[in-house]
Amino acid sequence: MGESSDATVPTIFPKSSPTELLGLLVLLNGHKGSEDVARLADDLDLEIDEIFPSLEYAELLQLVKVTDGRASFTELGQKLVAGSIRERKSILREQLRRTTLFKTIVRALESAPNHQLSDEDLAQIVSLTTAPADEAVQNIVNWGRYAELFRYDAEAHRLILSKPAASSRSGSGRTPPTTGATPPGPPGSARKSNPPPPETRGAGVVPAAA
Amino acid sequence: MALIRVEHVDKSFASRHGSIAIMQDITFEVKDSDFLAIVGPSGCGKSTLLRLIQGLDRPTAGAISFRGQPVAGVCTQMAMVFQSFALYPWLTVSQNVAFGLEALEWPKEKIGSQVERYISVTGLDGFQEAYPRELSGGMRQRVGLARALAVEPAVLLMDEPFSALDALTAESLREEILQLWRDPALPPEAVILVTHNIEEAIQLADRVIVLSRRPGHVLETIDVDLPRPRDRKSGPFYDLTDRIYSLITQGGAPLPPPSGADGRSAS
Ligand SMILES: Nc1ncnc2c1ncn2[C@@H]1O[C@H](COP(=O)(O)OP(=O)(O)OP(=O)(O)O)[C@@H](O)[C@H]1O
Ligand SMILES: [Mg+2]
Repeated sequence: MGESSDATVPTIFPKSSPTELLGLLVLLNGHKGSEDVARLADDLDLEIDEIFPSLEYAELLQLVKVTDGRASFTELGQKLVAGSIRERKSILREQLRRTTLFKTIVRALESAPNHQLSDEDLAQIVSLTTAPADEAVQNIVNWGRYAELFRYDAEAHRLILSKPAASSRSGSGRTPPTTGATPPGPPGSARKSNPPPPETRGAGVVPAAA
Repeated sequence: MALIRVEHVDKSFASRHGSIAIMQDITFEVKDSDFLAIVGPSGCGKSTLLRLIQGLDRPTAGAISFRGQPVAGVCTQMAMVFQSFALYPWLTVSQNVAFGLEALEWPKEKIGSQVERYISVTGLDGFQEAYPRELSGGMRQRVGLARALAVEPAVLLMDEPFSALDALTAESLREEILQLWRDPALPPEAVILVTHNIEEAIQLADRVIVLSRRPGHVLETIDVDLPRPRDRKSGPFYDLTDRIYSLITQGGAPLPPPSGADGRSAS
């Protein structure tokens, strides 16, 4: 495990896109599933640090192991590259759901008013401090959408909890009222307004759809 | 029967200095379930050739047929994927994918499920409501692909589809194209890929057609008999790369013009 599961603050963020990560796995597969990291990069005329973000995240998702500068598939990684585009996606999705980062985000969405979070909320929840915030937020949003953990209203810069199982432990949690086309933003919420600090939220679970 | 037959095709465009020959005497076939790549120097007519094949433009001379029928007008059995993605920025992902189906006047009730299917097949689930500007390059090209495949074309025409993408993204999408092409349950049957990238052509295709400088003619058609996934660092791969590279750089002199003075006007 790259990340301990009870950590409260996720420390590892995706720094590349899902398609780039898949590209790395496909590349590794072209090397029979195990290759020197420098050679892998060289194969696409890249520098090592250009494949490193994808490699690091593939490791976190337990698809690849890196030992002594050599990357190899885990069993799951092997299974992923052998699958169809859809199967690959569903493996990535399952792995993503297990990360502290996305568990934290889903939990926050479950407790947030209307099951929605703004970009700024997100940045606070995952304690983005050192990373260039915008890009990090966009990467996280991109992965979360890819894994269908939440929807995203780009106009309003808001994450919206997706319908499936995730949302309703109690059984009372219905899909938020915004299905299909999302409105530009919740009425009355100024985009610039400061989100309440995360530690004060939790308590105020606003009833979902009537 | 060949799926597509291109026979002695010439194409020239009118200019202030008379007509300019773009390609000359192009002949080749695309078989059922072929993966064909076309490489050649810039300006040799690769994009024009794809347009002729799809019926978006007419050859000046020669003939192009699809399943034995002359291509006259836009062939709905073919769909194109572009380097620039060519998405409508004001439409969502779903709407972009639906667009081609609407143009073909598919019944409304069938469009929804078809769009869902091809969004899923190309790995776009979760982005249905997104606008192109919200997507990474890789995801945008998936939309281009989903839109092309949704009409269930027999032939997928691709014009430099990976050259605007970063290397890892391109690597992923190249392999996904192979997957879709190989899957008998999914379109397309055959692929024609135009690319500047010789390694990419050898990595993907069954056959590579090498075109000369303008006016483009076929210098050679090269079979790629290597098992996939292909190792770019292997000897045979390297030999093919080298051979095509020297064909293009050395053997690329234009044919002498057959009759008139066309062909070699201003560069
Ligand atoms: N409609 C047109 N009218 C006049 N000239 C044209 C037209 N379309 C293309 N051409 C010319 O035909 C030549 C071949 O163009 P084409 O775009 O097919 O080349 P290409 O091989 O795809 O080049 P590249 O590799 O740069 O994409 C170019 O010189 C181009 O300027
Ligand atoms: Mg072109």
